[in-house]
Amino acid sequence: MLRSALGRWALLFGFWLLLAGPWDGASWREALPDLAVGLLAGSLATWVSLRLLPPTPERIRYGALLRLASQFLGKSIVAGFDIARRAFDPRLPLRPGYLDYPVRIPPSPDRAAFGALTSLTPGTLAVGSDEKDHLVYHCLDLDQPNAASLASDEALLLRIRFADSAQ
Amino acid sequence: MTEFLLAAAVFVLGTVALGLVRILRGPTNADRMLAAQLLGTGGVAALLLLGVATGTSALAEVGLLLALLAAFASVAFVSGATSGGHTTSGGQAARGGEEPGRDAG
Amino acid sequence: MSLALDLFTIMSVALGALFFLAGTVGLLRFPDTLTRLHALTKADNLGLGLIVLGLLPQVGSVVAGLGLIAVWLLALLAGATVGQLLAGAVPPSESRQSHREGSRP
Repeated sequence: MLRSALGRWALLFGFWLLLAGPWDGASWREALPDLAVGLLAGSLATWVSLRLLPPTPERIRYGALLRLASQFLGKSIVAGFDIARRAFDPRLPLRPGYLDYPVRIPPSPDRAAFGALTSLTPGTLAVGSDEKDHLVYHCLDLDQPNAASLASDEALLLRIRFADSAQ
Repeated sequence: MTEFLLAAAVFVLGTVALGLVRILRGPTNADRMLAAQLLGTGGVAALLLLGVATGTSALAEVGLLLALLAAFASVAFVSGATSGGHTTSGGQAARGGEEPGRDAG
Repeated sequence: MSLALDLFTIMSVALGALFFLAGTVGLLRFPDTLTRLHALTKADNLGLGLIVLGLLPQVGSVVAGLGLIAVWLLALLAGATVGQLLAGAVPPSESRQSHREGSRP
């Protein structure tokens, strides 16, 4: 708990420094009040983050996380080109429709992250979930292998966390 | 380079302005919200371009604020649309003071 | 070296601006709310990403560059989340009806 709180605080304060940091030529004495605001903001953000997203006992595979990030970066680039191609095509090649995806990730922030990430991949957009607890996707083109793409993304996301057996 | 970046900023603002036609056409309020979201992303891009072109780093922070405000606007729209929009869902939406047409006093 | 970097900036920013245009065209041409949402979230995020990438060589310091990337990441996060929220707020019957007219050539 303490470890993840400290980790998050460092991350959030670092982010504050990036966005609002007193970098431009101010002396330390002038920068001190600004830094105090940043420390306060970082602490508040950590508190909110711990309340909204309590830390879980599982560990994270950073290699898998990196692979996921790079794969989604690539896919979101393809998605942009896909949209541009369809939008500029005079025939407007779309075959939109719904897809029920039997998701394996249990309802959790992880599932929400999966929905958000897969909304950036080509042709799929998470819309919600149905009564059978499937994720409902809206697809731009039902002729594309949408479900297979979702399944491979999900397998990658499921590899990120693992139970810490050494506890 | 400055001229190019300024031209790019104007171009992006132009596409945003064109996208605002969606506000006029609708047909649903969700479509209009899309145009507002476009204003958020496009506005951030234009402000970042302007900031680098003119050497004003503070413009990046304005862009950040704009992105956050656009996101909050959409969140407010969605929570408003789902709590007041559905008349069939019954008791779930009508929680105490949230009911709009209720001024018994 | 500086010429190569300038060239990189021009290409990346121009391509990014083109994706903003694609997003707007999609927003105006696509047949229903959800397909328009696809166009907006995907094209604009890539457009903003490319513009940020193109601006990186033009800012003076590493910190300023990281700040630009941070703005992009926040906009990306907000865009993906808001896109999902807006998609959930669109009544399914409405777009199920209207996507039929869209599949016609």
